[in-house]
Amino acid sequence: MSEKEEIPKIQRVVAVLWPSFLTSGVAMILFYWIFSPGEVFPELAASGVSNMAFYSATFLFLWLTTLISCLLSCYFLRPCSRCND
Amino acid sequence: MPEKANEPVKAGQDSLYAKREEIYPREVHGIFASWRVAMVFLTLGLYYILPWIHWGEGRQALLFDLPNRKFNIFMMTLWPQDLIYLSALLIISALGLFLFTSVGGRLWCGYACPQTVWTEVFLWIERKIEGGRPQRMKLSKSPWNFNKVMKKGGKHLVWIVFSLWTGFTFVGYFSPIRELAVDFINWDLGPWETFWIFFYAFATYGNAGWLREQVCIYMCPYARFQSVMFDDNTLIISYDEMRGNPRGARKRGKEKPADKGDCIDCGLCVQACPTGIDIRDGLQYQCIACAACIDACDDVMEKMDYPKGLIRYTTLNEVKGNGLHIFRPRVFIYSAILTGLVIAMAWSLVTRVPVGVDIARDRNILYREAPNGDLENVFTVKIMNQDDKAHSFVITIEGMPGAVLDLDESQTYVESGEIGDTLIRVRAAEDVIKERSTSITLIVTASDDEKLTDEEDTRFIAPADWFQK
Repeated sequence: MSEKEEIPKIQRVVAVLWPSFLTSGVAMILFYWIFSPGEVFPELAASGVSNMAFYSATFLFLWLTTLISCLLSCYFLRPCSRCND
Repeated sequence: MPEKANEPVKAGQDSLYAKREEIYPREVHGIFASWRVAMVFLTLGLYYILPWIHWGEGRQALLFDLPNRKFNIFMMTLWPQDLIYLSALLIISALGLFLFTSVGGRLWCGYACPQTVWTEVFLWIERKIEGGRPQRMKLSKSPWNFNKVMKKGGKHLVWIVFSLWTGFTFVGYFSPIRELAVDFINWDLGPWETFWIFFYAFATYGNAGWLREQVCIYMCPYARFQSVMFDDNTLIISYDEMRGNPRGARKRGKEKPADKGDCIDCGLCVQACPTGIDIRDGLQYQCIACAACIDACDDVMEKMDYPKGLIRYTTLNEVKGNGLHIFRPRVFIYSAILTGLVIAMAWSLVTRVPVGVDIARDRNILYREAPNGDLENVFTVKIMNQDDKAHSFVITIEGMPGAVLDLDESQTYVESGEIGDTLIRVRAAEDVIKERSTSITLIVTASDDEKLTDEEDTRFIAPADWFQK
């Protein structure tokens, strides 16, 4: 890749934030389609934590996880020749 | 903004450290601009109004009630078990998009995509406060003074308020909006409602206010793969090179110079483009087919007394002089699959019985002898009541004449949206059992509505020596 064809910063940021957002959304929906929060976290649910809180927290946790995965992908995609710089 | 305001921005090619060049789309008037405004009113009108509509007593017509794990869709209530319908709806939408794209190109992008319609509103606010394209460019270049602070600040303030309203409406699809409004006014929102209102507001403000065309270029998956749905007969926005070239400026009202085409190179098509491209360079993936350039060019052609349509909706085949071919195998195949799926889904929804039964055999005992000497099999019956009100269910047995049910309760009461468990014992006397394993059917019916019924097959097991006696 020549310097001129460098990927813009916004594209890099989007490539990390956006796919992780989409996939964690889908994963969250599939997970809570099968399990209700009360089944997965019976004690927390009994102590009055709302379903909204379970969905939101799960989504944010998944987003963080997939975001790290995307970041690592970007990191490992760096041309190897640059490691010697 | 650089001196050459007509130079298109080479989106996607600017260097990592180069600043993105701000685009100041010129306002256009014309048939397509009117269509877009109409679509903004239709789509956003629906978005902001729908959650306020009630269907029946105190029931929000459209509510994806996540806290209670049920979806209200007008007269229907869908539960997590009905996710299949949501999947079917997504597949139908995707196929519909394929069909529209192969016929009409990126009509979705130009007129219906949330990114386009919200950007349109944000641009309208920007124009009302900062003025037209030249004034906006001048304001951006000018040093910071009172006027600039007031105008820029005012614009962002209106954007933020509008975004917050958008975020509030979004959360209103998931949490009853009227209660949410009361909580909002009293500032008594739950922490997560607050978080999501601000999150969605921030996303709207960022995407429609700041990122704009970059969302289409870098974030939109559809923009990346739409070209595979295109063929030579797909409607695209195209500049008629044969007619327009060679381009060049000329005096108005004079005879057209013999060495020039119809394009007067005014650059208005570029100035009008919300993604900052020059349509005269040919079809580009940044083009969202909003047709702003068509309106801009038609306006100029009219003033020059040239025929309209130098830039127009056309197909590659038509440009080559082969005419329009809307009906082609690709269109028929997409239409056939789409029609089939829509009919199947409609049929399935209309005939959907909102009750489900699941039978589990007692894990510990395959069979046992009842106190009266009969043979007994024990099952747990799970009844899913997907109706929007509670019912009492009656369980009956078929398939094994002489077999009787022994239940703790004659009816099983299940709340709306809940799953009720009940233990049942199926008993059969010695002379009734003909085989080691007999197929039986358990039928669950609501006591107040016999249409609410479902059945499930299972087996009655006897010991090998029992029926051979």
